[in-house]
Amino acid sequence: MKYLYAYPERCTGCKECAIACSLKKFGECNPKKSAISIVRDEFERYEFPIVCLQCDEAMCMTICPQNAIYKEKNIIKINKDKCTRCRLCVAMCPYSAITVLGDEIIQCDLCDGEPTCVKFCPTNAIEYLEETAELAKRRKELVKKLSLK
Amino acid sequence: MLTRKLGVIELTKEKIKIEDIPLSLRKRYLGGRGLNVWYLYKYLKRGVDALSPDNILVIGAGFLTGTLAPSSSRFNVSAKSPETGFLGDSNCGGYFGAELRYSGFDTLILRGRAKKPSYIFVNDGEIELRDASGYWGMDTIEVQRAIKADLGDCEVVTCGVAGEKLVRFANIRTGMKNSGGRCGLGAVMGSKNVKAVVASGSIGIKLAAPDKMLEKVLELKEYLLNSKIIQLLGRLGTPLLYEYSNIIGAIRTKNSQLNAWSTSLNAEQFEKMAEKMVACSSCMVHCRHRNKLGGEGPEYTAVGLLGANLGIEKPEEVIELSNICNKLGLDISSTGTILAWAFELYEKGIIDKKITHEKLEFGNFELIKSMLYKISMRNGFGNILAESTNATKYFGSRSKDYLIAVKNLPQSDPHDVRYIKAFALGIATASRGADHLRSRPTLEIFFKLPHRVKERIYGRNISPEPTSFKGKEKAVFFSENIYAVIDSLGLCKFICHGFNSPHLLGYEHFKDLIYYSSGLRFTKRELVTVGKRVIDIERLINAREGITREDDTLPRRYFEEQMKLGVAKGHRIDRKEFELALTKYYKLRGWTENGTVPRKRAEELIKL
Ligand code: SF4
Repeated sequence: MKYLYAYPERCTGCKECAIACSLKKFGECNPKKSAISIVRDEFERYEFPIVCLQCDEAMCMTICPQNAIYKEKNIIKINKDKCTRCRLCVAMCPYSAITVLGDEIIQCDLCDGEPTCVKFCPTNAIEYLEETAELAKRRKELVKKLSLK
Repeated sequence: MLTRKLGVIELTKEKIKIEDIPLSLRKRYLGGRGLNVWYLYKYLKRGVDALSPDNILVIGAGFLTGTLAPSSSRFNVSAKSPETGFLGDSNCGGYFGAELRYSGFDTLILRGRAKKPSYIFVNDGEIELRDASGYWGMDTIEVQRAIKADLGDCEVVTCGVAGEKLVRFANIRTGMKNSGGRCGLGAVMGSKNVKAVVASGSIGIKLAAPDKMLEKVLELKEYLLNSKIIQLLGRLGTPLLYEYSNIIGAIRTKNSQLNAWSTSLNAEQFEKMAEKMVACSSCMVHCRHRNKLGGEGPEYTAVGLLGANLGIEKPEEVIELSNICNKLGLDISSTGTILAWAFELYEKGIIDKKITHEKLEFGNFELIKSMLYKISMRNGFGNILAESTNATKYFGSRSKDYLIAVKNLPQSDPHDVRYIKAFALGIATASRGADHLRSRPTLEIFFKLPHRVKERIYGRNISPEPTSFKGKEKAVFFSENIYAVIDSLGLCKFICHGFNSPHLLGYEHFKDLIYYSSGLRFTKRELVTVGKRVIDIERLINAREGITREDDTLPRRYFEEQMKLGVAKGHRIDRKEFELALTKYYKLRGWTENGTVPRKRAEELIKL
């Protein structure tokens, strides 16, 4: 199973990923109406892409009083007809990965295996990778960093 | 896409009007710089004092700003310039432009003067004038942090303390270092008692053809990211340009007494001082250094004008000076030029301690640093320097001979243009004064391009030699037109044709981006026409303020003194050749021999 991985140290804060997501999903350019949120503060000096982690025991799924949130081929999805816009999922997601704008609850469905955000990121700050491969890679990078210092 | 509104804020009367922007106007001027200067021409009266309530300040996002289009972050700020007395217009990146559009507006016009310190809050289709007494006196960083802490998610443009004190080269600022630098528009904001304009919004920009746009931008992304120059810019930022110019001997040094400087300021040195490269909204280039000294930058202009031009050799000192200018809200180009001018005048004995109160000298970091604060607070000698080129009033007429300015605007380009003739013609004719971002025909300097390539871009009969004036009016004409279109679209010149490379995005790409986002069809020719229109309107604004052929000139030094160092040694500008090129340039523009727009054309532009 592939997931989205974010690398804040590579993110430049350009929001192209979020704008592309909003354009793909809603036909408009609007980084606030996007399933990927870029939290940036140039004064505090950080840029941070927040994506849905597709948790196994997803809080949003457990908490939804309408049972509107479900998994399909390991991807979390929201049934818009069942959803009453109570926003409990938005409030309870421990990673702030679900967004709400007006009456739109926006959650990443990985674009059914071809995430748009990844395509538009110029610095590979978000990648779509196999879980195991990714973990091995990050561990190696960590060892490299540690042994150099 | 085309539903973004115009907000007119009458500060004196505390009234706000919200209007549609007519489609006909859009088609003729697109947005950003184009629409701004049209409104300026329409509403600004001849001869008003730039710092009086009669001046108007126009803030306008580009046609594509805030969309997925690559590097579409930019907006323009325009008014009569308190620094020059002519057209003031300045282009800025960052995140404010996009946020302004998401808040429902494309253009804001500020008129009159607020009774008390105020700020303007633009939020999801509404505009409010609010009390800013709590923010007055804060530097550009403090005020943005304070406003964000008070209002949450928003983007801010501010005038800094320099603007409050009406320093004639105070800029408008957003973020850590994005600046609408030129022409002292921060002082205009300050004179209106406006500390900041704040935008916040979630009104998305609906595009005409989302799928096509996604496809196109993805294609352009591949293209741009494969370009070597884009890759270099993303690593080294604009300081990259310093080395090229320094090798030729085209870096303004110590007020252009010399023309080359230390390799210690080469881009690699600044790369070492960068924590991370950051970007503007929608930008794939990420050319901004987040530096280890707490700020962002420096840009190439800072390396040249706060470095070489002031005799500074250490990269960390350049960075610190640049950070301070950004904090205070001083235009770096004017600051570096005016200080270097004063230093030379002092060296030559044209001014002395009676007026300066202390010894002035090149290379003295502490002195320069203290001067920045004095200028921004208008303390002591800083009060005179804050007058920019108007300081000739205090320095005497001989001082003019050493002033590196055109149309009263200190030169922004760190290039000593005596060697590169197309650059020289460009800064002489630029509508806002000595400025390279209006027409920089960069191809003249970057590579020894094959003649064929130059001909294909600029037209026939162009000399391949940078030192020749032959055909160079065509290079300037071409560049001015396309840059006016780029500024009106809200794109960054870095990804566009002609600025850093003969490739990158040009009219053909603009056409598609415009069509997919708005559904409006333009031909290449029509787009060129937009560019020409913008330039002509700008000329009309300047003509109203009394511009003549005599103002399209160069600093005396460029005509009369030869360059001393490097490849450029011995070069200067020949007056006759220059005048001839100017005449040819006017002809290409369809202007009279005296540089005026013919009456028929003027009427046609105004009529709509
Ligand atoms: S596109 Fe990439 S670099 Fe830009 S904000 Fe998104 S994650 Fe960061």
